Amino acid sequence: MDFIANGFLHAFVLLFGGDPETYSAIFTTLAVSTVSISISLIIGAPLGFLLGYHNFRGKKFLRTFVDSMLSFPTVVIGLLVYAFLSRRGPLGEMGLLFTIPGIAIGQALLGLPIVIAMMATAVEALDQRLKNTLLTLGAAHSQILRTTLWEARYSLALAAAAAYGRIVSEIGISMMVGGNIKWHTRTITTAIALETGKGEFSMGIALGMVLMIIAFAVNFSMSGIKKRAGQ
Amino acid sequence: MSDVLYRLSNVTQCYGGKTVLDVSDFSISKGAIVGLAGHNGSGKSTMMRILAFLESPASGEIFYDGKRVDVANTDLRREVSLLTQEPYLLKRTVGRNVAYGLELRGADNIESTVRDSLNMVGLDPDLFMSRQWYELSGGEAQRVAFAARLAINPRVLLLDEPTASLDRESTLLIREAAAKVRDKCGTTLVIVSHDQSWLEEVSDVICRFSMGTIKQ
Repeated sequence: MDFIANGFLHAFVLLFGGDPETYSAIFTTLAVSTVSISISLIIGAPLGFLLGYHNFRGKKFLRTFVDSMLSFPTVVIGLLVYAFLSRRGPLGEMGLLFTIPGIAIGQALLGLPIVIAMMATAVEALDQRLKNTLLTLGAAHSQILRTTLWEARYSLALAAAAAYGRIVSEIGISMMVGGNIKWHTRTITTAIALETGKGEFSMGIALGMVLMIIAFAVNFSMSGIKKRAGQ
Repeated sequence: MSDVLYRLSNVTQCYGGKTVLDVSDFSISKGAIVGLAGHNGSGKSTMMRILAFLESPASGEIFYDGKRVDVANTDLRREVSLLTQEPYLLKRTVGRNVAYGLELRGADNIESTVRDSLNMVGLDPDLFMSRQWYELSGGEAQRVAFAARLAINPRVLLLDEPTASLDRESTLLIREAAAKVRDKCGTTLVIVSHDQSWLEEVSDVICRFSMGTIKQ
């Protein structure tokens, strides 16, 4: 049991002593997850809005497809992105394999179905009286769309938090597309896997604590947003 | 120039194959306060939605200010505002809810107009302007929604059960506000209410609905 207690003790030393290797993994994680959640939101929010707001042929199939993508395994996404970005792949010339943008692309694909599905559900669940209220207050078509998006803002924030929670804690994409390169593409999750494999528990525990803090912060903000979204 | 604002000719509306409204001839004069009475399901709310240009009739013709209306554009809809029985408030403060219609129109002096409108419905602007939508009671929400309609000063104000969740004092205020906008701005009002005595007090004329038809 001593190695666990020592691991925790050493983890605090690494965190509060500003260990560069530990903080490199933390900063890489924050950088890549910020880029990937931004891509997911920029592409996913309008698509989710369109999917939820409009009725069209094939909508049901599209909803089922997006919902199915929610359970897409991260290693499979990693495999596909790896295949596309590898030298032999169609996007190989872009040189994105084993880079932060490469991981961000894979993680954005992971977050995208979450944002689209949650946004579509939120728009579908908007009060039916909203549109008539906007019409009767004199809103034009574009003003109705803008106000409807703003009315769904808490649900969008909820979608962002849920997608971020999944992105920041994934390992398959970061490992396969990023390659777990020290000082470069090593993230919190890949570092934990590597260090634990090597028997270096302290860095694993230190990074695990940071990941837990991020997860708690995401969940804490989600509960606040959920309360507001339901009002 | 004619003083008829609305004229409905042979207007019918159907939901799921069932005729819910059948009006052969109906007119509303400019500046009038018209009360609509009748049992639940008699076609009053359908009539209100048609008058608000929120839905088109299955058949018949609607003339507004002498012109036939086929598809209502934004300019036309901005002349008419409907307050429904259970109004929806936007997820923002009371002040921004009341200001919404004015912002759409690019109006000036929005804050003073919002304050005046809140005063008209008996809500102290200093207390209510910054309140969030979820901090209001049912009656307060009803009055905020009414203030939002008063603020945009529409040519026609359609009120569907405006006093349903209000106490006696607030009901009196709504009546005063209705009379005030008619007298000051020449607003035409159409009011649906189950409160027979209140409707008689506030209206110039009352039309009784029964099974989708009007029995004057």
